[in-house]
Amino acid sequence: MSIASIKKIKKLFSDLQKARREIVLPLITLTVAPYFGFIGVIAFNPNLFSKLVGSGSLSIGIILGFILILHIFLVTLTYSYLANKKLEPIIRKLIKTQSM
Amino acid sequence: MGLNITAILMFVLFVSITIYITYWAAKKTQTAKSFYTAGGDITGFQNGLAISGDFMSAASFLGISGLVYLTGFDGLIYSIGFLIGWPIILLLIAEPLRNLGKYSFADVASFRLQQKPIRLLAACGSLCTVILYLIAQMVGAGKLIELLFGLPYYCAVMIVGALMILYVTFGGMLATTWVQIIKAILLLSGATLIAVLVLIQFSFNVNDFFKAAINIHPKGVNILAPGGLISDPISAISLGLALMFGTAGLPHILMRFFTVKDAVEARKSVVYATGFIGYFYILTFIIGFGAIILVSKNTQYLNELGQLIGNNNMAAIHLAHAVGGDLLLGFISAVAFATILAVVSGLTLAGASAISHDLYANVFSGATFSEKKEMQVSKIATVFLGLLAILLGITFEGQNVAFMVGLAFAIAASTNFPILLLSIYWKKLTTRGAVIGGSAGLISAIFLVVLGPVVWVDVFNYEEAIFPYKYPALFSMTLTFMGIWFFSVTDKSKYAHLEQAKFDAQFFRSQTGIGIDKSLNH
Repeated sequence: MSIASIKKIKKLFSDLQKARREIVLPLITLTVAPYFGFIGVIAFNPNLFSKLVGSGSLSIGIILGFILILHIFLVTLTYSYLANKKLEPIIRKLIKTQSM
Repeated sequence: MGLNITAILMFVLFVSITIYITYWAAKKTQTAKSFYTAGGDITGFQNGLAISGDFMSAASFLGISGLVYLTGFDGLIYSIGFLIGWPIILLLIAEPLRNLGKYSFADVASFRLQQKPIRLLAACGSLCTVILYLIAQMVGAGKLIELLFGLPYYCAVMIVGALMILYVTFGGMLATTWVQIIKAILLLSGATLIAVLVLIQFSFNVNDFFKAAINIHPKGVNILAPGGLISDPISAISLGLALMFGTAGLPHILMRFFTVKDAVEARKSVVYATGFIGYFYILTFIIGFGAIILVSKNTQYLNELGQLIGNNNMAAIHLAHAVGGDLLLGFISAVAFATILAVVSGLTLAGASAISHDLYANVFSGATFSEKKEMQVSKIATVFLGLLAILLGITFEGQNVAFMVGLAFAIAASTNFPILLLSIYWKKLTTRGAVIGGSAGLISAIFLVVLGPVVWVDVFNYEEAIFPYKYPALFSMTLTFMGIWFFSVTDKSKYAHLEQAKFDAQFFRSQTGIGIDKSLNH
């Protein structure tokens, strides 16, 4: 392998790490924060979740709980979308350079 | 409950199909690779179904719908907790795991560390998790089948054990995966059917549905509010941590990532699995509330004390009868049985691979190793674990085993997950740090559960617990990470330098998958 391609690999790999960080860190926060927020409300201020809404047959807690389930799924979907769009092209380039 | 012909026919059909699959799979399962990974060409969608099948046990189907039936909102706390681990697996673990490992997560943990001590620790963590999970499943299975099919408890446990040994020994991962996929489809369709048949009675009007439940349930409108499941902040955080990081340390789940061809498919698997599992938990919530409305006041399903026949975990089963008669009851009973079989098979395979691949092949075999011998050991280990599961299932009949799944999650979060995570991402990790920290987590998790309320008070019947909290993860995980950190950074041995020097190459491979093909047959 030539020095040029080693340099190129180093550059691509640091791009990959940067791109990955930019995707993973916000998504980890979007996973951990709402979850501990949810658990935190239950532990510290459960009355907040007991409040009824609409015609009195649903509570804030139940609505937020369902939204959280949906949110968790959307986090995984978003990651997959972003990883395929932003990480895979860099990884493909890396593999190409490596095999040159 | 009388004998249900539909249930028996459905079950016989399921067993016949799965035995045929095992026969088909056995012909393709000739090498260690096919035994552990089903050949490595399961698609992301199939693997997503299989993973969700591993996760949607009978205990979670019946247990969570039963918890919703009893407490309403609190059931949702568990559902969300079991789901929250999935983004963590996806964002941190799934792709590096696929890129570095071959058959078990210990492959990854020991990639640049010393094989023997790390494999030994990882195998201990895996086996503890698997066996605790197995006992909980077997005891639940015995009781459920006793109730549904009128079989004596020990017969039920033996049938489950025998079928599972058959699937795993002959069909390996390929049979186990397809049994899991079929069962996941059956369970998702069965639960959907019950939920639809319930909601149709309210013309799919959610307000009317919840209103009806509030009017019937003795707790009234309080079923929509947090109850007593989580009362103090320490327990809340501790339970949260165990659920969030425990999933990422369950060996039977981690093993599934080696059945797909690359990191892209591994990623896809998690998205599908999260979707299926999330949808399933929404269904169990509807089923729990449906049971409040349609079962809790129907004397047909109650004993003379006004409690559900069986116990609260039977809410979903009774509801199936209430909305779909004997036919749906039979179908759901058979699905529950199939679910138990599939889950125990997955667990046993993960346990067997810890014994044959981690302990035998990489620690004890030495110069006598051959792949053929490793296969033989894995089959012997399967039979051994199957018999052990039967024995423990019978031993623990009538015992309170509710703490076991919680303990399994605590161990997974305190031992398996930290060594896996840090071996992938933390350059300074050394063998000494991983072994000391990981063992401290394993031992402390077990001790804190035994000394805590769920064992010391509920099982041993002492007045007061020595350790006041139900969930140990906050303390045991802290101990693990502190231990790993301290004993790694102070490790100045020659090995430590070598291990740290190997990090960059390992990290490159874990992030890109470059090098993965060469290693597949090393």
